[in-house]
Amino acid sequence: MMDEMLKIEGLRISFGDFEALHGIDLSLPKGKLIGLIGPNGCGKSTMMKCISKINKGWTGRIIIDGEDIGPMRPMDVAHRVANVPAEAGQTFGMSVMDMVMLGRYPFVNRVWWESREDERKVREALKAFGLDHYRRKQVSLLSSGEKQRALIAKAYVQEPKVMLVDEPTSHLDMKYKLNVMEYLKRMSRGDMTVLVAEHDISLMARYCDLCIIMKKGQVVGYGDPKTVVTEELIRDVYEVDARIGLDADGEIYVLPKTAIGD
Amino acid sequence: MGVNDDNVPKGKGPLAGIAGRIGRSLSRMNEDMSDVESDESEISLKRRRFLIVAVAGALFCLFMFLISMSISSGGIIPISDALGSLMSAIGKGGQNLNTEELYIYHSRLPRAVAAVGVGAGLAVAGCIFQALIRNPLVDPYITGVSSGAGCFAVAVTSVGVAAIPFLSEHSTYIIPLGAILGGLIAFGITLTVSEGAGGSATNYILAGVIVGFAFSSIQTVFLAMNKDNLADVMWWLYGSFASITWENAFLVLVPAIGISILALMWAREFNLFMMGEDQASQLGLDVRRFKAVMMVVASVLTSVCVAFVGIIGFVGLVIPHACRMCLGGDHRLIMPASMILGACLMLFSDLIARVAMAPTEIPVGAITAMIGTPVFAYMLMRRGREYDG
Repeated sequence: MMDEMLKIEGLRISFGDFEALHGIDLSLPKGKLIGLIGPNGCGKSTMMKCISKINKGWTGRIIIDGEDIGPMRPMDVAHRVANVPAEAGQTFGMSVMDMVMLGRYPFVNRVWWESREDERKVREALKAFGLDHYRRKQVSLLSSGEKQRALIAKAYVQEPKVMLVDEPTSHLDMKYKLNVMEYLKRMSRGDMTVLVAEHDISLMARYCDLCIIMKKGQVVGYGDPKTVVTEELIRDVYEVDARIGLDADGEIYVLPKTAIGD
Repeated sequence: MGVNDDNVPKGKGPLAGIAGRIGRSLSRMNEDMSDVESDESEISLKRRRFLIVAVAGALFCLFMFLISMSISSGGIIPISDALGSLMSAIGKGGQNLNTEELYIYHSRLPRAVAAVGVGAGLAVAGCIFQALIRNPLVDPYITGVSSGAGCFAVAVTSVGVAAIPFLSEHSTYIIPLGAILGGLIAFGITLTVSEGAGGSATNYILAGVIVGFAFSSIQTVFLAMNKDNLADVMWWLYGSFASITWENAFLVLVPAIGISILALMWAREFNLFMMGEDQASQLGLDVRRFKAVMMVVASVLTSVCVAFVGIIGFVGLVIPHACRMCLGGDHRLIMPASMILGACLMLFSDLIARVAMAPTEIPVGAITAMIGTPVFAYMLMRRGREYDG
């Protein structure tokens, strides 16, 4: 495929006796927003951590834009993959500018002060994410939605080819959920491939170009959300009876009804 | 600084103006909680703030140093006289000194030199450990260094190794060498246990705490067995600069300042660590290696600091927090500021320790906490709401 950005072949990883990923094969195109859904513990975060090489010791191949990242140094991987965590955590008095500037670290390694060019890029990102006027504010004083945007801005200035976003909307209200998804959608318009793990299937189905569905360390569905997300699949993967429908605008919505078993 | 109010020329006129401007400039970053409209380059602003911290801090440290030279239990001499005596004593190379020069050259100067090294070193070690472990309650003694060092210091004193012929010639080095050895052994055990448990921050803290308890209990046994000849080691357990001589002053200063400045070169990597190990790793840092190397660096730094002067608390825990509250979260500012503030607090504490109840020396560790606690409590009340360190 000409416009392939990320190719995963036979990806496996074990923690002790437990094999968390059982040979994942995937091919993700350039410039798409791709949703990654599945129940808790199905291996979404584990797979993302393998792609950014936070998790080590996996086997198989991960190829980004034609280059195998297996033998790469962490710094070279950082030029290709950025990872947005679910939460900022404790930030020890760091300002928004300080935090977003960390995204430039792979480019200013071994230099004490960032360059004007780095600052220009960070300021542009802050403006694009509506955070510029908050740049001297402490991260801890931002609202959850603003924090999430700051984390995405940090990954954005890393100028990655693949951006991995882990549960970006789990702490957000409806408005900020849509807001964050809009930003992610906008970023994927260039060459960048954005892979986002989320629990809100309706939101994923609405915004994502493609959806990957995982269950117990395996990919069980991949394709256009409108065709992949079905009531049978939800029952199989989540063990939940759900109603899936289309609203007046032709958007999918998923309505969970009853949990099966337990 | 009540001690020297009457005798030291106070900053009036232009000096007060400059001090005010520096203060405002330093506190601007965290005062500016609201929207920022100006388009000033943030990097230039930060570089300027760094210069202010370095230059103003160094000058303030020098000022404290000279105050420390000019005050003794016998009285207070003008700073200019102290500076004159200091220069002439150094000029004479320590030979044929008059009384004042003798006191300054052989007592106050080495003590002050060691205090600068220990204060700066402990504060930087605190910065490093707090960043690596991402826990605000962490201090330089978290890896068990102080307990190991204390245990060995007591052990070498009580088993009487000073009677061994070779060692008796170098008896002043017995406690420091024992302390360094004990500190590094304790750290080695902590490192082994915590890495064996997976190497997470919580593992480090727990391993450090249990190793600390183990060495403290052994130390208690030694103390109980040898109640009589322990006067030598008591000063060490509470921290004191009283026995510092020229030889060991430089043995403290050079490595402490050298390692601290070396650690400054990785200030940006410590910033990465503030986002957590996963984030630091995905930004291209070899987290495991960096953490292991810096743990060793900070433990060696701590051992050097405690070897000659004993266990001095408070500085390594609180100085980094005080600097973060004033300057924000960037280690390129926090680490040099901690070095300077740590050195100043230690100089001042040692001054109080030697003059407040002269001729009795007060353990300097008690003074650092006595001075620092009210100041830090005040800062905490003013800034605590915004500070999540």
